[in-house]
Amino acid sequence: MIKSTRLKPKLSKRELQEERWFYGFISLWLVGFIVFNAGPLIASFFISLTNWTGVKTIEWIGFKNYVDIFNDRLFWISLRNTFYFGTGSVIGGTAVALVIASILNQKIPGRNVLRTIFFMPWVTTGVAVAIMWLWILNPQVGLLNYGLSLVDIQGPGWLTSQTWAMPAMIIMAIWQNGQTMIILLAALSGVPKMFYEAASLDGAGPWARFRHVTLPMISPAMFFVVITGVVGAFQAFVTFQVMTGGGPGNATKVYLLYLVDNAFSFFKMGYGSALAWMLLIIVALITWLQFAIGRRWVHYE
Amino acid sequence: MIKKLLGKRVSRRDFLKAAAATGGGVALSAMGIGNTAFAQDSKEVTMALTWGAEFRPTQDEFDANFMDRHPDIVIDKQYSTWPDHQTVIPTWAAAGILPDIVYTHGTRAAPWAAEEINKNIDDLATGDVEFNVDDIWDEALNLYKPQGEITAIPYDHGPIILGYNKDIFDAAGYAYPDETWTMDDLRTAAVALTDPDNNVWGWAGISNNAVRQGGHFTPWGGQGWSEDETQLSYDTPEMNEAFSFWIGMIEEGVAPNASQSEAFPTGPWQGGVVAMSPIASWDTPALAQFASFAWDVAPWPTGPVQKGTGSFGSGFGITNVENRDAAWTYMREYLSEEGMTFMWGASGRGSPARQSAYPSWIAAPIAPAGASYFLDALENYAQTDRPHKSLKGPEVEDVLISELELMRSGDKSVADALRSMQDLGQAILDG
Repeated sequence: MIKSTRLKPKLSKRELQEERWFYGFISLWLVGFIVFNAGPLIASFFISLTNWTGVKTIEWIGFKNYVDIFNDRLFWISLRNTFYFGTGSVIGGTAVALVIASILNQKIPGRNVLRTIFFMPWVTTGVAVAIMWLWILNPQVGLLNYGLSLVDIQGPGWLTSQTWAMPAMIIMAIWQNGQTMIILLAALSGVPKMFYEAASLDGAGPWARFRHVTLPMISPAMFFVVITGVVGAFQAFVTFQVMTGGGPGNATKVYLLYLVDNAFSFFKMGYGSALAWMLLIIVALITWLQFAIGRRWVHYE
Repeated sequence: MIKKLLGKRVSRRDFLKAAAATGGGVALSAMGIGNTAFAQDSKEVTMALTWGAEFRPTQDEFDANFMDRHPDIVIDKQYSTWPDHQTVIPTWAAAGILPDIVYTHGTRAAPWAAEEINKNIDDLATGDVEFNVDDIWDEALNLYKPQGEITAIPYDHGPIILGYNKDIFDAAGYAYPDETWTMDDLRTAAVALTDPDNNVWGWAGISNNAVRQGGHFTPWGGQGWSEDETQLSYDTPEMNEAFSFWIGMIEEGVAPNASQSEAFPTGPWQGGVVAMSPIASWDTPALAQFASFAWDVAPWPTGPVQKGTGSFGSGFGITNVENRDAAWTYMREYLSEEGMTFMWGASGRGSPARQSAYPSWIAAPIAPAGASYFLDALENYAQTDRPHKSLKGPEVEDVLISELELMRSGDKSVADALRSMQDLGQAILDG
């Protein structure tokens, strides 16, 4: 019998001791990860194959929950709403963040203070942001409608209108998008000046320099913020829960709201778990699609 | 190691070792402290409650008195906010760490009984003659008997009647509502009291609760749910007439629409800008504390078909079979006539579920002058709102409320919204 010739490198006593300490220290994190992340993740898949109410009743029903999802009216409504929110907040948020980042990339007075101000909404608690925006969007006494009234526009009842509730949530999400601004700002500041100088020598104007130098150079960063933005849009919950509860008339019922309703209000933990796994599949598909399309417009140095 | 640490320059490795040892020691000490506490002789009864800070001293006083009478029982309380409580309790149940006694809102009575969060206590309640379960309103107790046997004991049960802003009535020189009022009188008064120039509306509008509160449709002969809660009846001429009545007042500008209501964080009624509103007995403490206007209550007006309104309440269930005797020792005093009088009656916190304790609430300093009208409604024309038996109730109500929102905003006609309520809600019940 031929024994494998591949040998483990022999560790010194000190290295062995260090290895033990390494595992000792990492074990706390590892136990936490298994108990609080991996465990529930695996458990939720098995729960999704049952009709568990969340407490007691539990029967194995195979993939029935997954089949039911496709016939569920509110699943499609919540999915449509989430796409609407994701498209608006990611496209709008990235565009606005790029404009602000471009401005803050210039040598303007108070640049660092402005960067901090634009970044602050992103680190502010979701509930606090939601309550503040409830006031801003208030149709009677809100800042937004007051601003519109100065230019003779009567603002709508933002959160009580089926038409305007989701655009209002998108506006708020764009305002909160400080993280994207910071990432794009870092990318912009990393574009070598010589590329602009070379483009200028070739006669490129500001738009051409932006189109053919800036955008390709920051495309990896843009790709990153689009991917994380879409994933974030599918995880939107707190502000919707606090501000609209999914209304009016399901106009802002996003995917996670519907998932949580099923799991914790409708006593359908099994179905809620199936919705969670369906969410994972949807996000994975969208991300794969983005990577496929990304090859055409993302340029790596 | 200590000698090493003291005697030499501390390396990173030594520091980490010391930190780990210290952390482990602290953790072990903490376990030791816990064990000492649990090693005592007295029985511990744990409770999950939802009271705000203002009501906790009353609870503490009751518990202190109870523990004086029962030195062998220690009461340990855990508080959550009302909305959190509804998800915390099932989560604790799934984890097997439920407190012995849990606050149970009427909408959770059936599901928590079905899931055996609240255990059957029929034998305890009916077998304890001194507890006198017959003293509790039938409508209140029925909420906690989803399958016919008692699974929790109500502490509060109140009907919805008519609240009115006396200042607005006085300013308009309009006579206060009384026992003779019909729904037509309500509408006439609402029109007369509306003053757009001063941002005053006659009626408060229609809240999401209208899909379940019987006062919004039983006066017209409507009934949203069948007795066994397997059939809906929203798409009927009676329901159409009832909801057209309420929505009509919004369309005419007699009641604020959803957008106008948003200007008032606590709602237009508590904001003092509407003349009349539905009001429940549990609303009265907040009004007594915060309303900046004079107010009182009157009977719910009679409809074209009958006089009728809804009622609802909350209670307490026992979750732990092993500790049920100690838990019942507490519950039987907590929810006795004296207990309800002390906790909810004399404090004015809420209308007690016991007939014998009700007078204490009517006489409470913060109760409205017309508080006896709540008692009149309970005795004569209030019925417990539905759903409260069906496990599919919350899911159906989610559909009903989203359709009501469309009705209220004018995005759907009353007839179309009721039809959707019927079709979509019944499909859930049949599914």
